[in-house]
Amino acid sequence: MAATGADKLPEAATRRLTEGAWTSGLSVADFASCLEMGMQPVGYVQGYAVMQWSWFMTTGALSMGGGGLGGFGGGWGSPQQRRGQYLEQWQCPHGFVSSEHRMYGANYELTWLEESWATGWGLATGRMIDEAKALGATGVVGVVDTMHPLVSGSTVEFRSSGTAVKVADAPHPSTPFSTYLSGQRLAKLIEAGFAPVSVVATLSAVRMLGYCITHYQLAGTNVGNWYGAAAGGVSGVGPIDQVNRAEAAARRLARERVREQLASDILHGATLERSEREIGEGDLSIQCVLKGTRVRRFKDFDPLPDAAPVVRLT
Amino acid sequence: MTIRDEVRQAVTAVASAPPAAPGSAVRGTTSDLTIDEMLLLHSAGWEPVDFVYGISWWSVPWGAWQWTTGEVQEASSAFAGAAAQAAKQLRESCERAGGSGVLGVEVGVRVSSHHIAIELSGTAVRRTRADEHRFEFVSDLSARDFVLLDRAGWRPLGLAAGASFVIAPRRTAREWASQQGQNAELPNLTQALYLARERAMERMQRSGATMKADGIVAVKLREGRASSSVRVIQFVAIGTGVHLPTGSHRSVAPEMVVPLDELARQFDLKSLRGASPG
Repeated sequence: MAATGADKLPEAATRRLTEGAWTSGLSVADFASCLEMGMQPVGYVQGYAVMQWSWFMTTGALSMGGGGLGGFGGGWGSPQQRRGQYLEQWQCPHGFVSSEHRMYGANYELTWLEESWATGWGLATGRMIDEAKALGATGVVGVVDTMHPLVSGSTVEFRSSGTAVKVADAPHPSTPFSTYLSGQRLAKLIEAGFAPVSVVATLSAVRMLGYCITHYQLAGTNVGNWYGAAAGGVSGVGPIDQVNRAEAAARRLARERVREQLASDILHGATLERSEREIGEGDLSIQCVLKGTRVRRFKDFDPLPDAAPVVRLT
Repeated sequence: MTIRDEVRQAVTAVASAPPAAPGSAVRGTTSDLTIDEMLLLHSAGWEPVDFVYGISWWSVPWGAWQWTTGEVQEASSAFAGAAAQAAKQLRESCERAGGSGVLGVEVGVRVSSHHIAIELSGTAVRRTRADEHRFEFVSDLSARDFVLLDRAGWRPLGLAAGASFVIAPRRTAREWASQQGQNAELPNLTQALYLARERAMERMQRSGATMKADGIVAVKLREGRASSSVRVIQFVAIGTGVHLPTGSHRSVAPEMVVPLDELARQFDLKSLRGASPG
C-alpha cells in the first residue's frame, strides 16, 4: 500500500468514515475539554505501516567494508544519501597486525536504518492524517504512535492513531494540524499563545565499531598491561572516548533532524528515548528517538500571575 | 476573548502564516517541559531555550570486582569521573544554546561489569529579561520546585552526586553454620551497605561543598545489588546543591486548601487568566 492521499483510502475505510456514528479515542475528561474548546470529534483515525526491519547490515565486525559501508549512506551516490553524514575513525596505536587485534575502529551513522524508520513512521502518520482529511477535519488531537515487532523480530509495525476534530467557523487547513496533546494541556497550550502544527519524530542511529583500545575498555582488559600502557593513559579507569562520541553523535543527529523539520517553530514536550543493541564485543548500535509536538507562537500571552503556594489536605 | 476564539485564531495562524524558511536566522527551540512548567517558568521570569544532554561512559577494568572485599575504588572513581564529564557536557551544551541553567535533569545511571555510564538530559532555560546569559546552575528539580525554591530566596547551583560500590566479605564457616535455618541478620551485608552509604553520602556532601552549596535538596538514593554477585552492594546518592545568597530564608506561607473535587473533573480554564471559557 503506497502513500497516500485522502482520495486513495481503502474502500472500507471510506465507507467507515462516512457512515455510522462518529468515534473518538479521547478519555471522557479530554472529550469534555475538546467540546469546551469548540473542537467536535469526528472520528478515531489511524494509520499503519509494516516494515521489514533487517539487521543484516549491522552484523559482523568486518561489515565495515561491505554492509557497513552500505549502511553508511545507503550506498554511494544513492539519491537517498543525506548531507552531513557522521563518520569518525580511530586507528590502533600499537602498530602490529593480528587477527584478534582491531587495527581500525569507526563510528558511523546508519542512514539506511534512519530512513527505514522515517519511512515507516511517516507512512503511518501520513495515513492517519489522510483519514482525518477524508473526514474534513481541522486537526488530530491526542496522537499516540508506537512501534513494535509484528509476527517476527524483523517485521516492525508502526502505528499512529488520534482523534480527528473539526473546529467550527475556522479556516480549513490544507493539512490538518496534529498534536500529542489533548484536553486540558492542549487548552493551556493555546491559551498560552502556541498553535499546534504537527507531531514530529525522528530516529538517529550510530554504529560504533570499536578499535583495539575501545575493545579492551569495554571488555575490561585494559588493566595496566603493556598494550594498555602503550596506548597512553587508557589503562585502568577512564573515559571510553569512542562510545562517548557515538552517544553524543546520536543525540546531536536526532536534534538536528528535528530542527530541520521545525524551521522557526518550537518543539514542545520533547521526549528522548535511547536504546542500544550490542552486536558483538566492542560493537554497538545506539539509537535515539526524539519526538514532540511542533508548535507555533500565534500571539503573545500575559504571564501568569504569581502562583499561590498551597498545601493540599488530601 | 474566549478559548473558542483563541482556538480559531490558532487554527487560522497555522493555516495562513507559514513559518520562517529553513535556514533563516530565527532558530526553533526544543524543550521537554510540560505546558504547565513553561507557564510557571514564564511567570517567574524564565523561558526554555533548548533540550540539552550529557553522557559519559567510563571503563572499569577486569578484576576490579574480584578477589577483594570492601570498596571497589575503580568503580567508585569511574562513577565520579563519568558524572563529572556528563555534567560538563551538559553545561557546555547549555552555554552553546545561550541558556543560563538546566532544569528538570533526568539522571540515568547504568552499572555493568566493565563500565559505568551516566546520562543527563534536561531543558536549558534563561531569564526573559536579561541581556546577557551567564551560566548559573544545573538541577534535577522540576520547574515547579525551582520556582518555589526561587520564591523562598534559594538558588540551585549544580548536581551533587556520590557513589560507592562495596563487596561484602564472605561469612566465616562458623558464622555460616550458626546461621543455617535461622532468621538472622547477615552482618556482613548490613555492614557493606552501611560502608557504601557512608562513602556515597560523604562524597555527595563533599561535591556540594565544592560548589559552595549550603545544602543539598531532593536527594535521590539508589541502593542494592550492583551486579550478578549477591555480595556487591551499590549506593548512589544524587541531589541539587542549593545556596541562599541573601543569607535569610523567605517564608512562602502556603495556604492550606481542602480540594472537594475529583481529579478527573478538574478541567477549569479559569485557572489560567480568570476568564470564563464562554
